[in-house]
Amino acid sequence: MTGVKHMLLLCIFLSFIFVVVGVIWFYNSMETLDQVAEHFGATASPLWNPPIPEYEIPGFQGNQVMNIGVGILFTLIVFASTSAVAKCLRLLKHRV
Amino acid sequence: MHIPDGFLDLSICAVMYGLTAIFWVFSFRKASKALSDKQVPLMATLTAMFFAAQMMNYPVIGGTTAHLLGGPILAITLGPYAGLISMTIILLIQALLFGDGGITTFGANVWNMGVVGVFVPYLVFQLALRTTKNQGGLLFGAFAGALIGDVLAAVFAGLELGFSTLSFPYRVPIAVTAMATHHLVIGVGEGAVTAIVLSALQKTRPDLLQLPKLAPGWLGGT
Repeated sequence: MTGVKHMLLLCIFLSFIFVVVGVIWFYNSMETLDQVAEHFGATASPLWNPPIPEYEIPGFQGNQVMNIGVGILFTLIVFASTSAVAKCLRLLKHRV
Repeated sequence: MHIPDGFLDLSICAVMYGLTAIFWVFSFRKASKALSDKQVPLMATLTAMFFAAQMMNYPVIGGTTAHLLGGPILAITLGPYAGLISMTIILLIQALLFGDGGITTFGANVWNMGVVGVFVPYLVFQLALRTTKNQGGLLFGAFAGALIGDVLAAVFAGLELGFSTLSFPYRVPIAVTAMATHHLVIGVGEGAVTAIVLSALQKTRPDLLQLPKLAPGWLGGT
């Protein structure tokens, strides 16, 4: 079990590194799909306004500390959400 | 590759939701029967890690950027059913909270990155596993699986755009060519990272690669 814990801690540490690198250096996003859409004149029409558009809290755009905080917080939320889903599936297994 | 709302016709969105729903049903059913205690923390950690990894956009060609998808590594370590569930959670949070990918196009995005981007690399890797037993062959299988999965996901995105004649004013060949050529380069990056991670896992934690896979029985799953 210690080995698994080490592995998990390493992955969490790597996640934080990814967030910091993604916020400070590799934040500029122009995916192929964006370029293709721009080239062909297609426009997006969002159904709703997301609370944190472009991974930045409105009013704090460009604030790297805040963006790192958002990245880390939501990485932990993804971890918790996936754990919850996986544990629910495990509970279903025991019931079945 | 996250398609936003407005790029696809509603009929295409409905078809993609329908196709993806079939895989969701199979994946959740299978996972509810076969997910082990050891896989739960691993699944949560890898999902969180690839959510974080998708925040890093590295420059590719022609002023475009790309990011890791993570589907191939999720598929190889956990199996494609768990990989699809992981990618669904990532894409759902990205769409709802960050506006990265649309709501109407969620089914299409999960199909491209969660079904094609996970099942195809797993299939190719399993083929390599059965045809070769040496380290080089396995790493090539992981590399090729990630590359083919990435390009096929882009081809599907191009097809969805091309068939959306009401929303996207260009036909299939143009949309598919534009998406696939760029993703050929991006797929090389995904393939290289997948092979490197697999090689590191084989050296340091081979037990994780031997966990039972949540996959169809004919593909070595439980």
